[in-house]
Amino acid sequence: MRIRKELFADERDDDLRLVGQPVRRQDIEGHVTGRTAFFDDHSVAGLLHLRCVRSTQHHARIRSIDTSAAERTPGVRRILRWADLPKKAHNILTIFDFGIDDEPALADGKVRYKGEPIVAILAESRRAADEAVAKVRVDYEPLPAVFDVEEALKPGAPLVNEYIGRNWFRYWGDYDCQQIRFGDVEAALRSADLVVSGRYQMSPIEHAPLETQGCIVVPAEDGRFTVYTCTQGLFFSLDNTAAQLKIESNRLHFVGGTVGGGFGGKVDTVVEPLAVLAAMLTGRPVRYVFSRAEEMQVSSPRGAERIYIEDGVMRDGRIVARKITHYHDAGAYSRLSTYGTIKSAAHHPGPYTIPNVWVDSWCVFTNRTPSSAMRGFGVTGGDFALESHMDVVARAIGMDPMELRIKNAYRDGDMKAHRKLTQGAALVECVQVAAELARWPLSEEARRDSSRVGGGGERARIPPTPTARTRAPGSTGTGARVEPARLGTGFAASEPRRGTTPLPGWTGGAGFPSSRPEPPRREAERREPPPEPPRPSTGGHGAIRFSSVFGSRRR
Amino acid sequence: MPLEVRSTPTLAEAASLLQAERAARFLAGGTLVVRAVNEGDVSFSTIVRTSDPAFTRLRTAGGRIELGAGVTMAQILASRELAFLHPAARSVGGPAVRTMATVGGNLFAPHPYGDFATALLALDARIRLASGFGAREVSLEELLRGRERTPRPLVASLSFERPADPAAFRFRKMTRTRPKGPAVLTIAAWLPLSGGRVSGARVAFGAMAATPIRARAVERALEGRPLSAEGVAVAVAAAAGEGDPPTDPIASAWYRQRVVGVILRRLLLGEP
Repeated sequence: MRIRKELFADERDDDLRLVGQPVRRQDIEGHVTGRTAFFDDHSVAGLLHLRCVRSTQHHARIRSIDTSAAERTPGVRRILRWADLPKKAHNILTIFDFGIDDEPALADGKVRYKGEPIVAILAESRRAADEAVAKVRVDYEPLPAVFDVEEALKPGAPLVNEYIGRNWFRYWGDYDCQQIRFGDVEAALRSADLVVSGRYQMSPIEHAPLETQGCIVVPAEDGRFTVYTCTQGLFFSLDNTAAQLKIESNRLHFVGGTVGGGFGGKVDTVVEPLAVLAAMLTGRPVRYVFSRAEEMQVSSPRGAERIYIEDGVMRDGRIVARKITHYHDAGAYSRLSTYGTIKSAAHHPGPYTIPNVWVDSWCVFTNRTPSSAMRGFGVTGGDFALESHMDVVARAIGMDPMELRIKNAYRDGDMKAHRKLTQGAALVECVQVAAELARWPLSEEARRDSSRVGGGGERARIPPTPTARTRAPGSTGTGARVEPARLGTGFAASEPRRGTTPLPGWTGGAGFPSSRPEPPRREAERREPPPEPPRPSTGGHGAIRFSSVFGSRRR
Repeated sequence: MPLEVRSTPTLAEAASLLQAERAARFLAGGTLVVRAVNEGDVSFSTIVRTSDPAFTRLRTAGGRIELGAGVTMAQILASRELAFLHPAARSVGGPAVRTMATVGGNLFAPHPYGDFATALLALDARIRLASGFGAREVSLEELLRGRERTPRPLVASLSFERPADPAAFRFRKMTRTRPKGPAVLTIAAWLPLSGGRVSGARVAFGAMAATPIRARAVERALEGRPLSAEGVAVAVAAAAGEGDPPTDPIASAWYRQRVVGVILRRLLLGEP
């Protein structure tokens, strides 16, 4: 490996001491000698084992749950149901005042995906818990299920999640999808020499960590709980567990350590709340660990994404318009998909300067396993579509795919579709070096091109932009008036933003009455008590920007 | 009911225990049974194992090669006499699995596993079953047909004729990930030549039905033919009609039926 230090040498201090050097991982000795301690290496006396009865149906109403035989199983100490939950539904982003509490930790009278936990069994041994699980009889009334994002958006599609109230997540009070509007895409598509369209489909991907998700909870005499866990976000999971159990966070002591593989799959905080609740109700230490089959089937995968791209292209290779519709399959519950959808919109239209851009990014609910974070979720799928499409465009106009990328790559000083000026662009140089290493012939012009020249000026301009709002078929919106200035629409008048300006419209907090949870639609015949009214928004924080899922930066 | 592990000094005692208790499973290498325990399988509550030395004995001296059912894939790979079986043994799992996985266990490995059983089928292996009342022998085909029956028979050992020409044995496994993915399909073939023509062929397919199977139409189509492009054409065409391939996360039935002829042709012609 060679680092091209000659590129952008004046833009950085030449003090790289680790990049490009072989470095021994600090934890490798423990791993290869088997001495690394994981959460499950904590040996605790008097442990109860938690196992869940899981839905065999993709979508069904639960008529009844018969646990009588399970209760009689030797070793069984307690069975947890939805009625035992302090908070009836939760979403891990609502601790940041974003999103809707839409997922019950145990089924609330309905199951929305295959594998959803219905009741939790606590027993003296893993074996006894498994035997009791096999004895629980659940009487289902199957409901029509929907597995395809576009089918789910059609009027008359089965409603997946009553807490959400529709099969798509509504952003910023009254947007059916996350939108980017920059210039007049329709006019540009009409005047382009060629329009190149494509459809790209991602499959869900499981993180498949060697260590399956789990935790061990130990109650202490002072009313606190020590939680040994493999979560990737220790304090994020602590706060979410406290919120879900309605206890002060200082009653929880989370102990992390080495995570046996995460890749984004261990932030959902699905095991800790149930295990702590079980320890609270029994006064015993509790262990809850996913089996391999559970890890594969019910832990959140990367979501399936479907991406449509329509490019307006000129014969000389300039892309003058890019129109994208991006569907995220959130599965049955939000988890982090609402955020992944925003990320995808923030990533389009890729590292290219395109004067007219139109993006609709949808967070859609289906009866599939809830999807969530995985290694650049929202971005990776988009890149697969964008870069595949760049090759399709190159072929359509008979241009070299590397040259097409260099021609359209953003330059320093260019205005991005998100109203941010490009800084530190390096795509041109990356393509040049890749071409050189692959002995790919480039034209003299492409070889001499640079990310630092040709940008700015006319390319820094924000074009006049029609700001039509996209509606789901049959959707009428909430009718909520959304202040254009606060949402950052009407950009033609606004100043270009620099640096770490939040996404337009990302103001969060109390200012968005219709982004608050709506009470779920309930069936009259349901026997269980209705869920609590939604938590009132705390308000008054001003704008919030995610710096990662583990924290927010308040501005 | 807690899980009980019972160790027996002889195979006959193990067989008696298994016959007496329906909710018992025999543990050889544990790559299937222990995984089931870990995944919360409560269909059995007793595990039976044996320390009978005959169980792990490997005999390559006589005219027939005899493998105790507890012989591991690693043992096969360590035997120079069994070099012709190394590709089949190496196709089972990774090194950790091969250290534990046994030839007897592989006969019961559910689809799409059972690559070594496919190889044994092409070698026309005979199976010695242990029982409380003494041993009896069945063909491997017969064992595979009835392997889901309870109580499951306990395999003590298996044997097959020492190949006069080890080169007559060929083995191919098609996987999505290399080197150790589960089989899209597996083909093992015994192709003795007489005067340049196939005589007495045995061809076995793995992952092309619920259990490994013999491909009889393919065998008939090869009889008396040379292993040339023209000579194998009829056999290749017959391949798709064999078995009843399942659709699973590895491949669809449709795909398996279309690709089996391609892999068979490559195997017969010695193409890469």
